[in-house]
Amino acid sequence: MSSTHLSIAITGAGGAGVISCGELLLQAWARLGGRGLLRKAYGPQIRGGESAALLKLTEDERYTAADHYHLLVALDWDNFSRFEDEIQLGPDTWVLCETGAEIPAAVLALQPHVLEVPMAELAKSAHPDGRVNMLALGLLGGLLGLPVDSLCQLAQQKLARKAEAYQDAAVASIRSGCAQSLDCELHPPALGDTGTWYLSGNQAAGLGALEAGIRFVAAYPITPASDVLEWMAGGLEQVAGQLVQAEDELAAINMTIGAAFGGVPAFTATSGPGLALMSESIGLAVASETPLTVFNVMRGGPSTGIPTKSEQSDLNIALHGLHGDAPHLVLAPLDIADCVFTTGWAVQLAQQLQTAAIVLSDQFIGQSTAVVSEPRRCAAIASAPAEPSAGGDYLRYKLTDSGISTVASPGDVDQRFTADGLEHNEKGTPSAKHSDHQQQLQKRQDKLEQFDYGEQWAALSGSGPVAIVSFGSSSAAAAEAAVQLSASGTPARTIALRLLAPLQTDALAQALAECERVVVVEQNHGAQLYRYLRGQMDFQQPLHSYAMAGPVPLNAKHIAQFVAEVSAV
Amino acid sequence: MNNAVQLKAKDYKSAVKPIWCPGCGHFSVFNAITKAMAALAISKDDTVMISGIGCSSRLPAYVDSYGFHGVHGRGLAIAQGLKVARPDLTVMAMGGDGDGFSIGGNHFIHACRRNVNMTYIAMDNEVYGMTKGQASPTTPMDWDHSKLTPHGPGVRPFKPAALALASGAPWIGRAYSGNPNQMAKLIAQAVEFEGFSFLHVMSQCITFCPEQTDWKAIVHERGEPALTDADEAAKLFLHEDGFQTGLLYSERRATWPPESAVPQSEDALGQLAASFRV
Amino acid sequence: MANETLAGFLAHSIELESEARERYTELADAMTGHHNRDVAAFFLRMAEEARHHLAEVAQLAQGMLLPQLKAWEFDWPEAEPPETASYEDMHYRMSLRQAMTLALANERAAESYYRNVATSSDDQDTARIAGVFADEELSHAAELERLLAQLPENPLHQLEEDDDPHMPE
Repeated sequence: MSSTHLSIAITGAGGAGVISCGELLLQAWARLGGRGLLRKAYGPQIRGGESAALLKLTEDERYTAADHYHLLVALDWDNFSRFEDEIQLGPDTWVLCETGAEIPAAVLALQPHVLEVPMAELAKSAHPDGRVNMLALGLLGGLLGLPVDSLCQLAQQKLARKAEAYQDAAVASIRSGCAQSLDCELHPPALGDTGTWYLSGNQAAGLGALEAGIRFVAAYPITPASDVLEWMAGGLEQVAGQLVQAEDELAAINMTIGAAFGGVPAFTATSGPGLALMSESIGLAVASETPLTVFNVMRGGPSTGIPTKSEQSDLNIALHGLHGDAPHLVLAPLDIADCVFTTGWAVQLAQQLQTAAIVLSDQFIGQSTAVVSEPRRCAAIASAPAEPSAGGDYLRYKLTDSGISTVASPGDVDQRFTADGLEHNEKGTPSAKHSDHQQQLQKRQDKLEQFDYGEQWAALSGSGPVAIVSFGSSSAAAAEAAVQLSASGTPARTIALRLLAPLQTDALAQALAECERVVVVEQNHGAQLYRYLRGQMDFQQPLHSYAMAGPVPLNAKHIAQFVAEVSAV
Repeated sequence: MNNAVQLKAKDYKSAVKPIWCPGCGHFSVFNAITKAMAALAISKDDTVMISGIGCSSRLPAYVDSYGFHGVHGRGLAIAQGLKVARPDLTVMAMGGDGDGFSIGGNHFIHACRRNVNMTYIAMDNEVYGMTKGQASPTTPMDWDHSKLTPHGPGVRPFKPAALALASGAPWIGRAYSGNPNQMAKLIAQAVEFEGFSFLHVMSQCITFCPEQTDWKAIVHERGEPALTDADEAAKLFLHEDGFQTGLLYSERRATWPPESAVPQSEDALGQLAASFRV
Repeated sequence: MANETLAGFLAHSIELESEARERYTELADAMTGHHNRDVAAFFLRMAEEARHHLAEVAQLAQGMLLPQLKAWEFDWPEAEPPETASYEDMHYRMSLRQAMTLALANERAAESYYRNVATSSDDQDTARIAGVFADEELSHAAELERLLAQLPENPLHQLEEDDDPHMPE
């Protein structure tokens, strides 16, 4: 019997290797055509603290966080209480742990099925360097029917740089685990097609950026965005690009501006606090019409907030954080695979429209790893026809119908100009005249508003009298809620916004045609999307807000309940 | 651009006229930059002037090259990003003492350390001019002309050359606005130097610090070959009066970024994508 | 260097006059931007005179191969060529009298420079031409002195003003 999903939590402390265990398990599962998501949760210690690999094996790619675990593999119980919020257990949960270990009373109180296995002893007898995490991997592989050779090979691949004996120990432990027979009943979901990819949202974003032409990155480390930058450091080397580690976010954004001014598509990645620091210079990019992409991986805020946990609370600053009237692009990838598409699209739009694009990913899709079908790519946007300046006098900020002017870069013959954050005239010469200010403000607005963004502004799905509107990573939970609602006889349509600014109000109104009510779903406390939408357009139907702050991921069941409740009133 | 015609300094000036007060030392820096460009027969199309905010940061628009007038304190970051992305260009960053040593101080330190092959000209008049004459990091402790610090800033002024040396700058020179020809020579040397060259220019502010006209009597040329040893340079910069001009210190160091040793493949993007396949 | 050969001397003369012209033009622009029209007009006139003199020198140098010197390779008694007005002596509220006094000092410095070449050069042509140039500068100086005598004395507080400076950025 298969189910829609199977959730497995693997926890442990002090270098127990739970993350590797989860990664290898998901990869072996993916090789068979399985789908699944791996989230990682950590304590505050850099090394040695407790950690959890949170797996959700699924039959589709609508990846939401598990709200209930079918299996908990506790390599030890050190500080397990830290994960109590995140790892919900119940009487139907199987708990697999070390024989004789003291199980926390809170866990026992839930009356799960407990399976004690002498993991340490089995690992030691398999190999002098035998390890419990690899033994557990073998046990899990056995439970899921994964080929033991595949697990061993994946482990060797991962440990390729370690000593041979260390690899041998892993293989021996996995084989020993696989050979055990456990009295445990799990119902894994059905397998799908093979030929999938295995990657994190942050990696996907990096790939999307490079494929769209990014060849310069300025980087200042910040959780949870650092791994975008780290992946790109390696990637850029392969494509003759450059990455500079900057001294701070102020430098990072300005280096990006410098490279972009040089005609090299440029990118930086950060998270809330860094975005705040970058804001002044994003305004400079807008005013000087220098294209750049800022990839913001959101985390709990404000201030240092909850750096390792997800939240969608940087929407306000992304939309409204620039001083002055500074129209720019704000986009949000809808899921891990969509990070390739949306980042690539953002880069292309920024280049085409000569402005700043802020992309709002978040810790959930950024740092989770998933098995996905080959990601869709953003087709190349045809560039606007160059409008040559009249009389050979190059006008960098020439007023055109589209609002887009021909851009020259240093090295171009006889098109010299000085880009300026000061308001300027068509030539770029500083000007405080009302007419110049008015014209340039209008030009910068027009080029964004007149552009045809096509069908990609949102992902639309389903039909029904209720619309669930979301952006970015909350869209998976919204979609899951819609499925549950449809199953219970109240069909709902979903509108997952990919382009947040400029908001495609006409298209959104059309998507809401004949809709009786709208529920806006987001993961923040202040209902930022809800308020933004209300400010941007007049809705014909009641608008309800479902806004839930992090760090606990959005729960599709709760969303479905909320939609049902407001619909019943 | 047709380089066959030898350009004169005035040919490197744009049609935009400086807004500086008559008597401002920055005219002299502008003059020296264009003279250095003429002497080096630099291609206008391949040169970029980058600045932050302040009186001196208005300079890029006055030069007939490419330019970027950015935000306060960030000129060096823009310049480094550009030079790393476009190593074929000649990149010069410039700005004042407030822009470079206060709001942009961190970028100054790290630009010295990073050693990207470019030139930075700091026009130091010991005052914020655009905001009506407040004390800057190089203002004397007892300078009490600003309403913001009516009893003087009361803190020791920076020694930009010492700071640059400690941060790893491999080329440190000082010029004075009263001697644009010597400055032009230093700028030409700075541009030709392979690495980050820092030229500290004492550039008087006639409006807020009229007492700086006295500099003429104090400034003196060092007149000795540049030091090539950082220890000796440290002694010099910590004990000097801050008014000696010339190329003071120069030492060859590996520039950043180094040449890439990674072999390039035509299908690099395809391979990167393939690395994610299960 | 300037007094050794005619070519070297002419190269210096050309630089001296073209720098004077450039500087006066630049200062005139700056004064125009600061609405000091009298001084701007005067500096423009001085630039025009320098242009005249430059044309004369260029005429003399026609057909000669002059040394190509960089800005800092010339040999001047001071940091800048003698007739070049110092940027740092300017003030946007300077009176015509002050501007003219500065210009007079420049003319005298130029005269002194040329005179020095005329008396010290071993090259006959150089000495003769330098002498002519010195006399020209002398006549310019005399003209300025004449004009200065007609100008009123400066008020005591010429440079003072009531408003505070502006805050442009």
